[in-house]
Amino acid sequence: MEEQIRILMERKKKFLINSLIFLFVFYFGLPFSLTFFPEWMNRSTYFNGLTWGWIFAFAQIPMTWILGSVYAHKANDLDRLQEEMKQGGRM
Amino acid sequence: MNLTYFTFFICIIVCTLIITYWAAKRSKTTNRFYTAAGSLTGFQNGLAISGDYISAASFLGVVGTIAINGYDGFLYSVGFLVSYLVVMFLIAEPVHHLGKYSLADVVCYRFNRNSIRSVMAFGTLLISFLYMIPQLVASGLLLRLLLNIDYSISVVVIGGLMTIYVVFGGMIATSWVQIVKTVVLLSGTFLLSLIVLSRFHWSPSAVMTEIIQQTPLREQFFIPGQLLNSPVELVSLQLALLLGTAGLPHILIRFFTVKNTKEVRRSLLSATWIIGIFYLITLVLGFGAIALIGYQKLVAADPTGNLAAPLMAKELGGDFLLAFISAIAFTTIVAVVAGLVISATTAFSHDIYHHIMKKGTTSEEDQLRAARWSALGIGLISTIFALRMENMNVTFLVSLTFTVAASSNFPVLLLTIYWKRFNQTGAIVGMVTGMIVSLACLILGPHIMNPNGGWITSKPLFPLYNPGIVAIPVGFFSAIIASLIFQKSSQSADEEMAPFFIKAQTGIDMRGKSM
Repeated sequence: MEEQIRILMERKKKFLINSLIFLFVFYFGLPFSLTFFPEWMNRSTYFNGLTWGWIFAFAQIPMTWILGSVYAHKANDLDRLQEEMKQGGRM
Repeated sequence: MNLTYFTFFICIIVCTLIITYWAAKRSKTTNRFYTAAGSLTGFQNGLAISGDYISAASFLGVVGTIAINGYDGFLYSVGFLVSYLVVMFLIAEPVHHLGKYSLADVVCYRFNRNSIRSVMAFGTLLISFLYMIPQLVASGLLLRLLLNIDYSISVVVIGGLMTIYVVFGGMIATSWVQIVKTVVLLSGTFLLSLIVLSRFHWSPSAVMTEIIQQTPLREQFFIPGQLLNSPVELVSLQLALLLGTAGLPHILIRFFTVKNTKEVRRSLLSATWIIGIFYLITLVLGFGAIALIGYQKLVAADPTGNLAAPLMAKELGGDFLLAFISAIAFTTIVAVVAGLVISATTAFSHDIYHHIMKKGTTSEEDQLRAARWSALGIGLISTIFALRMENMNVTFLVSLTFTVAASSNFPVLLLTIYWKRFNQTGAIVGMVTGMIVSLACLILGPHIMNPNGGWITSKPLFPLYNPGIVAIPVGFFSAIIASLIFQKSSQSADEEMAPFFIKAQTGIDMRGKSM
């Protein structure tokens, strides 16, 4: 029983580490690229003349929603597995 | 004050008092008083979290900052929002599993010592007061500017209301006031943004052309670097915003108000949607404000730009719309300060009074009575402080609260939940050092020590306006180093700690107690 829980926890941990790395890179990518590639970030795009800086800043919002939903989905699955295990193992 | 304003304000006060009356009848046990007995659904809690989080500083402040500084103002919004992912991934579920009423419960589940409980409770009180008093001061100034009411009357009204909500209605009243606030705030600002866009015939490029005409920054308005021109300040601010939310006690105790982790996640997902949409709306409002009002008028009304949204409301819909937006700002303030009162109350009555002074022996009735008296005391103290600080510029404290939270509470919570070799000494050293260093950077920094109009008129000893990049690592390293120095024999401790980590991650109690 404890062993199975550990396996589930490992799976969650692996997923979390990947998500966190992605989150930090994506989030700090914005201030870093504003600092180091200002010409590139201030170049206009085809959307109404918005610059890449704006697009990148806006992108943080859907990124939050998507990453949050993916995590919730995954964690709900793991919760269900854990629940089934508990019923089977009758803790 | 004319009749329109009066009607709106009375309406809000009466509605929230009805909620409080209804909640008071349901707040007869400590469990209900502190956490609404976990009775909220995920979506309701998401609305309440948003209501707890979106302060007047976010609503009026961000609109003003965007109107004056353009792109850089929006970076605040981005940080405020993305921080919820850190809360969701790392902190929320373990807090729900381990804690009962307060943040100290979470850390004390692992290290059950009074010293740790006191330090955690002190941290919560410090952060809550640091956040609450400037909000009260700002609200007094705001109502004075908007409605011409005397500063002390506005502070007493807001301070009185927040105290009444918490004393009588506890977490149930607080949550529902916050839920109502979110609905009113979101619908009101959405409406206002539609009116703004309709003025420009729904054409974003028309808005942008007009902005370039109106702002002294010209095309630079849309280009980063107007407010945060040094990369270190920029990264430092972004770091504090990202990690700060995960240390804010009034947000974290909201995870006790739902019944399971699925609802915790649903709360956070709803909150990110609501907060994300809200910040998109503030962007439209900020753009609208500069385009419709113009820079000169904005700055003349208030140099920080805080009056951008109300001024624009007046421009677009006259007194009626201004009264409506002022009422929304008022609701925004009372909902946030009520959330802070309840988090401070829990820290005092549950941690300090019940656990430390009475060693956990007080009866249910006594605990409830203590909680109500603490709420009254905390409400009174903060109102009195706010009354005396009329002439001080304290609004900058709001954003610095994030730095204090990110360098004290956040490292200790994170290491408690995830690090096997963390120990009591590490927890205490981490909390205390984090608090001291972040406050020291603040006091010695250019907000307070400033040759041009600071509280102390001399050159700042610490150069950064945003001390996060120094204070947060110091908080972490001090906790880690103290743990390593005061390490006891580790092998057996590892074995003993296994049930704790399982409980933190899954809620399953391996020691044979209930979940």
